[in-house]
Amino acid sequence: MTVRKTPSLAVLAGAAVLVTLAACDGKSDTAGATADGGPIKVSASDTACEVSATTAGAGNVTFEITNKGTKVTEFYLYAEGDRIMGEVENIAPGLNRRLIVEVADAGKYQTACKPGMAGAGIRGDFTVTGGVAKQNDANAQKAQATKSYADYIANNTAALEEETAKFAGLVKTGKVDEAKAAYARTRVYYERIEPVAEKFGDLDPAIDVREADLEPGQKFTGFHRLEKDLFVSGPQADTPQIADKLLTDVKDLVAKSKTLELTALDLANGAKGLLDEVATGKITGEEETFSHTDLWDFQANLDGSKGAITSLRPILQAKDAALTSTLDKEFANVQGLLDKQRVGDGFKLYTDLSQDQVKEFASAVDALSEPLSKVAEVVSK
Amino acid sequence: MLFSSALIGLREGLEAALVVSILVAFLVKTDRRHALRWVWPGVGAAVLLSVAVGAILTYTTAQLSFEHQELLGGSLSIVAVVFVTAMIFWMRKASKSIAAELRGKMDDALDVGPAAVLLLSFLAVGREGLETAVFFYSAVQTAQSDTVQPLIGFAVGILASVVLAWLLYKGAVRFNLGKFFTITGVLLVFVAAGVLGYGLHDLQEAAFLPGIGTLAFDASATLPETSWYGALLKGIFNYSQQTTVLQAIAWVAYVVIVLPLFLKPSKKTAPVPAAAAASKE
Repeated sequence: MTVRKTPSLAVLAGAAVLVTLAACDGKSDTAGATADGGPIKVSASDTACEVSATTAGAGNVTFEITNKGTKVTEFYLYAEGDRIMGEVENIAPGLNRRLIVEVADAGKYQTACKPGMAGAGIRGDFTVTGGVAKQNDANAQKAQATKSYADYIANNTAALEEETAKFAGLVKTGKVDEAKAAYARTRVYYERIEPVAEKFGDLDPAIDVREADLEPGQKFTGFHRLEKDLFVSGPQADTPQIADKLLTDVKDLVAKSKTLELTALDLANGAKGLLDEVATGKITGEEETFSHTDLWDFQANLDGSKGAITSLRPILQAKDAALTSTLDKEFANVQGLLDKQRVGDGFKLYTDLSQDQVKEFASAVDALSEPLSKVAEVVSK
Repeated sequence: MLFSSALIGLREGLEAALVVSILVAFLVKTDRRHALRWVWPGVGAAVLLSVAVGAILTYTTAQLSFEHQELLGGSLSIVAVVFVTAMIFWMRKASKSIAAELRGKMDDALDVGPAAVLLLSFLAVGREGLETAVFFYSAVQTAQSDTVQPLIGFAVGILASVVLAWLLYKGAVRFNLGKFFTITGVLLVFVAAGVLGYGLHDLQEAAFLPGIGTLAFDASATLPETSWYGALLKGIFNYSQQTTVLQAIAWVAYVVIVLPLFLKPSKKTAPVPAAAAASKE
């Protein structure tokens, strides 16, 4: 008899489950859906089933059934194909019973009273309006999209931290040539997730400020400061500290990005933002003014934009298939131009591009920006 | 008005009281009165829990969605079937050993654990308790605002079911042991088959299992649940006037498998069907 506690524990556990279930299903509003906000009154008798309202908004619908007949009755709410949405059995003559049904989908339903609890019942059509369901569907899709993009971010931030650590190490040990070779490769991971980095106001400038954009009194730090030291002026006295700070900032960014809650709209805006980055920085050759590795950044921005669009794809496909195929086409067009400039596992330097090639890039980027700018609106529809 | 509420009370009451009364008769018959004190906590806990949750659902804004309610009732019913089945085979075992041994000196290994007794009592009452409690509260509310008839009817029905269960108990304990085991065992086989079908039907209603609309038969006209005999049938054997195919198959399968196993004479060498009723303490 050592298990004497078990039975009562089991009972307690059962109670907890029940109460939890009730609490989970609990809604703060038990309001029905009639105009006056009260429950929908159902007057059931042996021959009739009078429902005081035949429409309700999606959400919780409350029925108050009164059995005025002589037989025990049941009340059902059926969805199409007689799927039971909710039921109350054993409504004895004279009783009032309440039924609260959560109806998520707008559409056609049927109410039914079953005097004698038998047969198909006395049916009536019931319409549920509103778009909780669509909203839920859309919300589920959006949640899926943001989750998928979060995975993309996580992969890239992990790689960014790893590569930055290597890069900073090379800089600090004075291996200039190796550091130069690693520079563009490391920045790729940053450029892919730039919209996320920009969410953290002070980190993005610290990591990625260009010399030309420095505010008065602002210290020149980050990737571009090291770019200048490596490619132009040679290592300075404080170069190792700058490298250390870059790594610290990147780690900080990676940690913060893990807690970031993005919305589908953020993805859409980010995809567009990345292309704007390309148009304003990379096409002009201003981003990598010392190393001229702008095309690496260009490719990375394009990847990031594509990553966001890929995550949003199910939503876009459902809402605007034409836009989706336009995007595919324009992405492919820009990628095609970039591929032409590949050298080994990298790209031509910006300074080796002809004016015509730059123009060609610019117009291809514009052609992609245009459909991208519509994504946010489609997503938030 | 009064009568139909009384039938509901009778039916729901019987569903709960029947297994309990057989259990009690069985413990008394086999001189296991010490285990009786585990019956009432189980019953009490189930009643209290049902009444408490029923009150929460009735008087607060908390709700149990229809699916959850059916899932709960259905799952508890199926767990109850497992326990009742174990009890059936335990009885078989006990009856065989009684032939061999003097009464009151039964093999200690066949002793029933308090946990088993308590859980069986709890499940027998608890599986339908919530629905009954909610019905009770609506009768109470109706009594406050409109008419006391449903409430009185319900109370009369519950009372009648308790009386019936008591009569059953009284009748059962009059038989000699061997007969008692056979009769109550066979009765329990059909009860358990009904509970199984009932539980599956609940799960079908919650759309957890398919086929709610596929009926094996519809006897609403010939044998309605709202008649007194229909209510009795439902209370005792969980008869449903509209039985789904799945329910019917489960019922038949259960009876076809369990009944012969229960009734087959045990050979000295044949192993006894394995079903551990008593959780060993």
